[in-house]
Order: sequence, then C-alpha cells, then structure tokens
Amino acid sequence: MTDSLSVLTLFFFSIVVYSIPLLYGTVGEIMIEKSGSLNLGVEGTMAIGAVLGYIVGCRADSLFVGMMIAFISSALVGALFSFLTVTLQANQNVTGLTITTFGVALYYFIGNGLGNDWPQMGSAPRMVNSFSDMEIPLLSDIPGIGKIFFSHNIMVYIAVGIAVLCWIYLNTTTLGLELRAIGENPGAADSMGINIPLMKYIHIMVGSGIMGLGGLYMGLNMGGTFEGSNCWINGYGWISIALVIFVNWNPAMAVVGTFVFGFFNTLRVYSGSLASTFPGLLGWLGNIPAQFFSALPFIITLLILVVDSMRKNKKSGQPAAIGLNYYREDR
Amino acid sequence: MNNLHLVKRSGNTLVRRIVCYIVAIIISMGIGAILLSVLGINPVSYYKDMLTIGLIGNRYAYKSVEGFLKVFVPLLMVSLALALSFKMRFWNIGGEGEFLVGAMCAAAVAFNFGSLPTAALIPLMCLAAIISSGLIGLAVAFLKCRFNTNETLITLMINYIVLYGVKYFGETKADWNFFLRDDSARPIFAKFPENAEMPGIHIGAFNLLYSVIFTLILTVIIYVYLKYTKQGYEIAVVGDSSDTARYAGIKVKRVTLRTMFLSASLIGLAGAFSASASATVSSSMTNSVGWTGIVVAWLSKLSIPGIFVASILISILQYGCQAASTSYPAIDRNYADLLQGIILFAVLVSDFTVTFKIVKRKEDASK
Repeated sequence: MTDSLSVLTLFFFSIVVYSIPLLYGTVGEIMIEKSGSLNLGVEGTMAIGAVLGYIVGCRADSLFVGMMIAFISSALVGALFSFLTVTLQANQNVTGLTITTFGVALYYFIGNGLGNDWPQMGSAPRMVNSFSDMEIPLLSDIPGIGKIFFSHNIMVYIAVGIAVLCWIYLNTTTLGLELRAIGENPGAADSMGINIPLMKYIHIMVGSGIMGLGGLYMGLNMGGTFEGSNCWINGYGWISIALVIFVNWNPAMAVVGTFVFGFFNTLRVYSGSLASTFPGLLGWLGNIPAQFFSALPFIITLLILVVDSMRKNKKSGQPAAIGLNYYREDR
Repeated sequence: MNNLHLVKRSGNTLVRRIVCYIVAIIISMGIGAILLSVLGINPVSYYKDMLTIGLIGNRYAYKSVEGFLKVFVPLLMVSLALALSFKMRFWNIGGEGEFLVGAMCAAAVAFNFGSLPTAALIPLMCLAAIISSGLIGLAVAFLKCRFNTNETLITLMINYIVLYGVKYFGETKADWNFFLRDDSARPIFAKFPENAEMPGIHIGAFNLLYSVIFTLILTVIIYVYLKYTKQGYEIAVVGDSSDTARYAGIKVKRVTLRTMFLSASLIGLAGAFSASASATVSSSMTNSVGWTGIVVAWLSKLSIPGIFVASILISILQYGCQAASTSYPAIDRNYADLLQGIILFAVLVSDFTVTFKIVKRKEDASK
C-alpha cells in the first residue's frame, strides 16, 4: 500500500514539476492578450529567455541573475513584438510566428555555436542549490499533499505568486481595468485618454518577461543539457496559448488549468506505472495511446472554443479586439 | 513628437516596396554575416556555398536541383493556398495539419490500392487528399460563419491534434496499421508501393516530376482565378469589407465556405504530392511548410507573382543551408530559420515605410 501511495504521490508531484512552465507561459500570454494583442511567439520568447538566462546564470553561478537575464531578454523580445505590431502596425500573427521561428533558431544557433563551451549545471553549484526543492515548514509535513504541493523549488512558488498578483492586478486595480478596456474596445479606451501604445508596450514586455522565466525553468528542469535535435521548450509555448483559452483569460484559474493540462501531460509518462500499480482500477490506462494524452489539451481547447462560440458566451474572457491592430486614424 | 503623425500612403507603391525589400534583405544578410564571423566562419564563402545551393563544381548538380524542388514545390503550393484564404482575411494557420491530413489520406490510398496502375492510383491519392483536407477547411469555415468562432485559434489547435494523430500511426505497431513496415520490429513508416511514386520526365539524369509541372500550371490558374474570374473578385471584396460585399449581393458565407475548402484542399494536395514524391510519410515531412507558407504569403502581400519569387528565395535559403552544412558542420539548417526571422523583421520594418509616411502636422487652420 505504501508503494502504491508513493506512486500516486510521485505522479501528482511530477504534474507540478513538469507543468509549471505552462503557468509562466499562460500568465504571460494572458497579460498580452488582455491588451488586445495575440502573440503567437510564446515558444520563441521562452526559448530565448531560457538559453540566455541559463548561460548567464551558470556563468554567474546565481539563479537570481539567471532569472533576471531570462526576464530581461524575453522582455526585449516583447519590445520587438510591440515595436513591430504597435508602432509599425505589422500583422500580429505573422510577427508572432516569426518570433517563434527566430527564437527557436537562435536557441540552436547559440547552442551549436558554443559547442563544448556550453556551461554544465554542475559548474554552477550555487545556482543548482537555489533551484533545489525546499520544504515549506509545517505544510510539507501533511502526508501526501505536503509532498505534492509544498516541497518544490522556489520557481514553482514564484510562478503561483505571479499568477495571483496578475489576477489581483487585472481585476482590482485601475490600471488593470484600463488594460482590459484596451483589449475590449481600444477606440473607447483611447477617447478616455488612456495612452494605448504605452500600455501595450509595458504589458507585452512584462508578459514576455514572465514567459522567459518559464523557459529558464524548463532548461533547469531538464538538467541544462543542450541537445542538437530538441529544443527545451518542446511545444510548451503552444500548449500555453491553448491554456489561455482553457482558463478563460483568467490568471488565477491558470493555476488550476495548468494542473489539469499537466495532468494529461504527465499521464502520458506515468500511465504505464499507474496501470501496473492499480491493475483493477486504472488498468485501462495502459491501453490508451500516449499520443492521445499529448493531443488532449488541444482537443479540449478546440471543443471549448467551439462550444463557447455556439453558446455566444457573454462571460467569455476573450478580449473582443484580440488580434486587431489599433490604428487611430481608422477609428 | 506631437506634431508628427502617420499617414497612409496612396498610389502605386510597387517600386518603392521592391527597393525597400531588397535593402531589408541586404541588411539582414549583413547581420547574419556578423553572427557567422562571431563563430569564426568566413561569411563570404559561407554565403557563396549557401546561395549556389551546391550547384557549382558539383558533378551531381541535378541532385541539388531535385533537392531544391522538394523544398520549393510544397512551399509554393501551400503559400498560394494560404493566400486564397488570407485575401478573404480568413486566418487559416492550419497549414501544417491540413498538409499532414492530405499526405496521410494519400498514403492510406497508396497502401490499400497499391496494385492499381500509376495513372489511376496517383489521381486517386490526390482526390483523397483534396477531399479530406478540404473537409477540414469547410468545417472551420462553417464554424466561423455560423458561430463566429475564432479561426486562428481553431486551426492552430487542429495542427497539433493532427500531428499527434500522425505520430500515433507512426509509433503504434499493430496488425491493422497498414502505414508501417511489416519487416521491422521497430515502428517505421513503410515505403509506398512503386505505382504510388510520383513519375516524371527524364531530362538526362534529372527527373522532372509531374507534381512540379502541375504546381507551376496551378500557380498560373490561381493567378487567373483571383484576377479575372467573378469568384476571385468576390474573394477580394469579402476581404476588403464583408459589409460592402453583403450590400453588393455577394453571399459572404458561400464565398467563405468555398474559398476555405479550396485553400485547405490545395494544402492537402501539396501534402499528397510531397508524400508521393518521397514515397513515404513521416510526422516531420511538412518541414514547417505550414508556418513558412504564412510568412511567404504575407511577405508577398498576397500577390501571386510575389509568392512565386518569395518561395524561390526562402527555398534557396533553406535548401542552401542544408547544402552548405556539409562543409560547415557548426552551422545547421536552423541558421536558415534564424536568417529568415531576421529578414522578416527587417521586411516588416520596411513595410511600414512603404505603407505609411510620417508627416508634420500642419497648424490647425480653424484656430
């Protein structure tokens, strides 16, 4: 029994460990989409933050420095997106896709270029130490739950903190209200005297910076090894875009949504061991193809999109002006 | 700053655009050259290798041309197809998924009816691809027309659902799975029966595939379709303003459904061609053509001749990097993506100078 309990605990523990990058990506994208911009460059933004944050963090042997660099470099990518789409009125879909192509390619370029100079995590003991799991006193002593939720590395808690802060910001502050107004009806927001370009720049940059932290997390979680064939981000950026829809553009719900999407993602890896530990109850899990679990987040999101639009859901958090550039003189 | 503002340029901007784009490409290549030098690689000799796609001083130059065409043909066709829907302001970004669906359905026909003669089998494969992908496009268009579902996000999801579907067929060893090789214990996609391979015209050692010829003919047909037919005109009107179109008596929904079916089915056809030309399928066979196609279509401002030129340029970039990587192992094919990204950023900036001009605000006369 203890053995089966530990399998379950490990399963839920892994959900948290592996899905936190989704939370960073999703919260970042929510901040951007609430301003009315659809940034399809999550994958690339995360890749750039990951590779630069990791390398500098290793060299400086400090997780804090790594996080700063990841945030700043990704925020600069966000600045590029803002410059192109807000100032220069370029198409958001094309710009976002280009950022993804460019970011992932830059990741490989830097990795291949460094070759044997690629820093190993072992060379940065203090950074590794800062990233190691820490147990929250008292809470982590709760059997099962304590291990699952309260004995993680610091970046897990930071992610949840950012999500909650963003929720408070969007829903209770004046600036948050103004931001949502821009996403819903930029013309009206403009006539209220809100500085639309400035607001868009700031939120796109902050949102991108948050994504960069998620990228760094993925790199550290994968042991920091560069593989010539697989990018660290590995599609998490795209899942984040889907997750934004799943959680209805709500950062607080993103914490729950991340856990749900992470559940399927982790099930892909653990379905075998779960099926063999609980042959009676979960034996059927072994028969479901792993690819189905991978596709499930996208299938669910697709269904939500369709059902939401069929019901003409008034409560939908989707900003009305999403994806449309605001050009004052077309108003 | 306040007395400067943006004004949209009017009139013909074609020459200005071409000049701006050329400048943008040169600047990007310059940035790329700096990056290469940082890695200690001579940019001049690298660019020479890349831009000549391994044609010069190569006894097997025809192989390079064939390799180039394998990149160029799907890209051209997908970009053309996407341009159809983009002209309508319908953001079909499901090129990856539609391409794979077409390829897989063509493969299903190839494996099950492999005994048919080539002249019957290949059209049948193409038909399967056209119908299956077209239906996906039709479904998305229906949702858009009926419920105003966001098509960008829907097609994005479809890409990944299809991708994992293909991976499922490619990684599941089972009796019913006719996609895989029988003689291998590991799951590997099987080679098509011989009759399903795309035939071609032999010019010396060079094999000019019929799919290449057909794609070029199709380019002309689409050009004529958009420019000189009623249906093509309807697409343009719907794209400009669906309200105007409705007042003019155009059935907007019908145009949307028809055009999306065409767009998706052409992408599916490109998938079938690609599968037949390489006589197999794989989950990575799209070579990101669904994404690159969006970029190409947009770069060319949805003009068909523009798409033709841009497809050639991007294909040279991509295949050239592949060809050059034999002599420069430190630079893999991702360098093409990097350069492509920089070029596009530069072009987006130069786009601005083409569409807008900054003028000084005149003093308000009424004051």
